[in-house]
Amino acid sequence: MFCEKSVELIRELHRMGDGQLPAFNEDGIRQVLEEMKALYEQNQTDVNEAKTEGKSELIPSIKFRHSCLLRNQRCIAAYLYDRLLRIRALRWEYGSVLPTNIRFHMCAEEMEWFNQYKKSLATYMRSIGGEEGLDITQDMKPPKSLYIEVRCLKDHGEFEIDDGTVILLKKNSQHFLPRWKCEQLIRQGVLEHVIS
Amino acid sequence: MFVTDIRKEFYDVVVNQRVALLVSSDIDALCACKVLQALFHCDHVQYTLVPVTGWQDLGTAFLEHKEQYKYFVLINCGANVDLLETLQPEEDSVFFICDTHRPVDVVNVYNDSQIKLLIKQDDDLGVPSYDDIFRDDEEDEEADGDDSGNESDGSAEPSGKRRRFDEDALERRIERQRARREWEARRREILFDYEQYEFHGTSAALVMFELAWVMSKDTKDMLWWSIIGLTDQWVHDKIPHMKYVTDIATLQRHVSRHNHKNEDEENSLSIDCMRINFEYDLRLVLYQHWSLYESICNSCYTSCSFKLWSINGQKKLQEFLADMGLPLKQVRQKFNSMDMTIKENLREVIEESATKFGMKDIRVQTFGVHFGFKNRFLASDVVHAAAALLENVEKDETPTDNFIKALDCLSRSNLERLHLGIDLAKKKLKAIQQTVASCICTNLILSQGPFLYCHLLEGTPDVKLFSKPLSLTLLSKYLLKAFVCSTRNKRCKILPLIMAAPLDIEKGTVIVMGIPPESETSDKKNFFGRAFEKAAESTSSRTLHDHFDTSVIELKMEDRGKFLDALITLLS
Repeated sequence: MFCEKSVELIRELHRMGDGQLPAFNEDGIRQVLEEMKALYEQNQTDVNEAKTEGKSELIPSIKFRHSCLLRNQRCIAAYLYDRLLRIRALRWEYGSVLPTNIRFHMCAEEMEWFNQYKKSLATYMRSIGGEEGLDITQDMKPPKSLYIEVRCLKDHGEFEIDDGTVILLKKNSQHFLPRWKCEQLIRQGVLEHVIS
Repeated sequence: MFVTDIRKEFYDVVVNQRVALLVSSDIDALCACKVLQALFHCDHVQYTLVPVTGWQDLGTAFLEHKEQYKYFVLINCGANVDLLETLQPEEDSVFFICDTHRPVDVVNVYNDSQIKLLIKQDDDLGVPSYDDIFRDDEEDEEADGDDSGNESDGSAEPSGKRRRFDEDALERRIERQRARREWEARRREILFDYEQYEFHGTSAALVMFELAWVMSKDTKDMLWWSIIGLTDQWVHDKIPHMKYVTDIATLQRHVSRHNHKNEDEENSLSIDCMRINFEYDLRLVLYQHWSLYESICNSCYTSCSFKLWSINGQKKLQEFLADMGLPLKQVRQKFNSMDMTIKENLREVIEESATKFGMKDIRVQTFGVHFGFKNRFLASDVVHAAAALLENVEKDETPTDNFIKALDCLSRSNLERLHLGIDLAKKKLKAIQQTVASCICTNLILSQGPFLYCHLLEGTPDVKLFSKPLSLTLLSKYLLKAFVCSTRNKRCKILPLIMAAPLDIEKGTVIVMGIPPESETSDKKNFFGRAFEKAAESTSSRTLHDHFDTSVIELKMEDRGKFLDALITLLS
C-alpha cells in the first residue's frame, strides 16, 4: 500500500522516547521519495492521457495518487521537523559540543542547521544582559541556593572552578560547589546533586 | 595545640576558605560530619568530603588533596599518632582534628602552628607537661663546648691550676650527663604511662553540636545527630557508663531548650514536625521495629542474663514472659501490631519482672525522635541501622559506597534507606546471637593465661560479616559477656578477650581485636594497642596496623601462632 514507508518513518521516531535522536534514516527517506517520484510520474502520464483522450475515469485514480503524494510530503516534513526540534533541545541539554554518538545520528544538513542555530543562540545571548552577555542555558529552573552539594559518581580527574582552584573529582567524594559550575557535569552524569 | 575558643580559632578561620574534610568510618564521625556539613551549607563554605577507612587511606587522600587545600578537618582520626611525621605536610597546611581517640599524641598537643585539636580540655586527658618530655638540647652542648674550651684555654696556665680546671670541668660534665640520663629515663616512664592505655573521649558529634550552639545555628536535626553520635559510643562500648550518663544530661538540657514551645490545644505543632523526647526506654535492641520476642532473644543484655543458648535459659525466658502475663502469640507478633493494652504499660511491666530475674538495668536513658504518623525511632535503632549499612557485606561494594549510603540514611528524607539498614541490622544481630551460642556451646573460647582467646574458623556461617571492625566489636563484647555469665572459673571472669576472624581468604589474613575485661564499672581502657605493636615487632610478624583504633590489626594467618606466644609472654 502507498504511504506505508512514510508512516514507518514516523513510527520509528515515535518509538524512540522523548528527546532521543535515532540515526537519520537515509534509506527510508530515499524510498519514500522514490515512491513519490513514481506516483508523480504515473499521475503525469494519466493527466496527459485524461486531457488528450478525455478519459474521465482516470480522474479518481489521479486524485488518489495526488492525496498519497500530499500524505507522503506531510509525513516527511513532520519527520524532518521533529528531528530538528529534538536537535534543538540537545543544544539546551548538552551545550555547544554534542557527544560523538549523537553526532553520528545526524545527517550533514542537520549538522549545518545545528551550527546555524548555535550561532543564532550565541548572538542572542551576547546581545542581552549588558556587556558580557547572559548564558540563558544555565539555571533552567530557578535555583534554590548559590552552592549545591554534589556527589561524584565516577572518577573524573581534576576540575577547575572560577577562581582557579582545582578540585579532584574522585568516586564517592562529596563536594560543595557553586551551582553554575556543576550543572554541566550533572547533565553529563559525572556528578549527582545530593538533596538532604 | 588545644583550641580554646572553637568558634574563633576554628570556624572563623575556615569560613572563608576551602576545606577538605577527611572523615573516618564510624557512626560518631558520620554524625559529626553531618553537623559540620549543615553548618558549612549555612555559610557557603566550599568543602570536599573524603571518607577514609585507615591510615593508608588517610595518607592517600592527603596526598591527592594537598595541592589544592590548605585547611584539613579530620574527624575521628589523626589525634593518637604524630600526624606531621605520618603525613609530611607543607609548612602552610593546617589540620583541625576532632577525634575521640585518646591518648592524644604529645607532638600533636605541643605543636603550635599546624595542628589544632578540637577537643574539650576537661576530658581528663592527663597530658604530661612540656618540660617533662621536651628539653632544649642546645644548652647542654654549649655548656660542654665551654668546658672543653676552658680546657684548651687552660693549657697556657700553669699545670697545677689546669689540673684543677680539668677536674672541675670533668665533674660538671659527668654531673650533666647523669642528670640527662635520669631525665630521659623519667621521660620514657612518663610517656609509657601516658600512652599505655587507649580509650575514647567526648563524642565528636557532641563537640560539633556545641560549636553550632555557640553560634546559635543549631537545629533539631543537628541535635538528633549529636544524640546518635553519643549513642554510638555507648552501643559500641567505647565510653564508661558514667560518662554516657553525664553526656546524656548535657544533651537533655539542649532537648528541653528545643522543645520549649507553648504547645496546647490551639497552638499544637504539626504532626510532621520533628520532636525529640527523652526516653527511659528498654535496653532491647530494635524492639519497636521487630517483635518483642525476637528483640529479647537477640539483645546482648537479656540473652546473657537468661543464658539463652542453653535449654534452661529458654525455659527461664518462657517463665519471664509468663510472669509478665504476655501471651506468646502477642509477643511474637510485630511490635506495632501488638495489642494496645499490652503496649501501654510495657516498660514498667518489663522492668518489674526483669528485676525479679536479676536484670536491674533493663532500662537505659536515651532519646527518641518522632516525625510523621509512622516514624518513631530510638537513637540506638538508628545507630544499629547505620552501622549495618556502613559494614554491609551483602553486595560487593567498596567501603566508600557503603559510607555514602550510611551517611544518607541519617537524613530524615531517606527513610527507605533507614528501613533497609534496620533490616540489615536485624540479620546482623541474629548472626551475632547464633555465633555466640555456638562459640559458648562448643567451648571455642580458650584461656591463654593473661587473656582469653577465640578464633572464628573460615566455615562459620556469616563469618564474612565479622571481618569488619564494628561488627566484630559487637560480637566480641557480646561473647565476653556471655562467657563471663556462663563460666564458673572465677579467674577467667576478669580476663580481657582477643578475638580473631578471617579477613581475606585469598591473602590469608585475619583481623585481630582485643577488648578490655568485662566489669560493671570498667573505664574501658584498652592496652592491646601497644601490646600488639610490641608483639609484632618482637616476632617480626607480618601485621598491618591500619585502623585508627590501635587495638584492631590485620595479621597473616601463618604468623598467628608466634604472635600469640609473644603476647602471652609480654602480658604475663
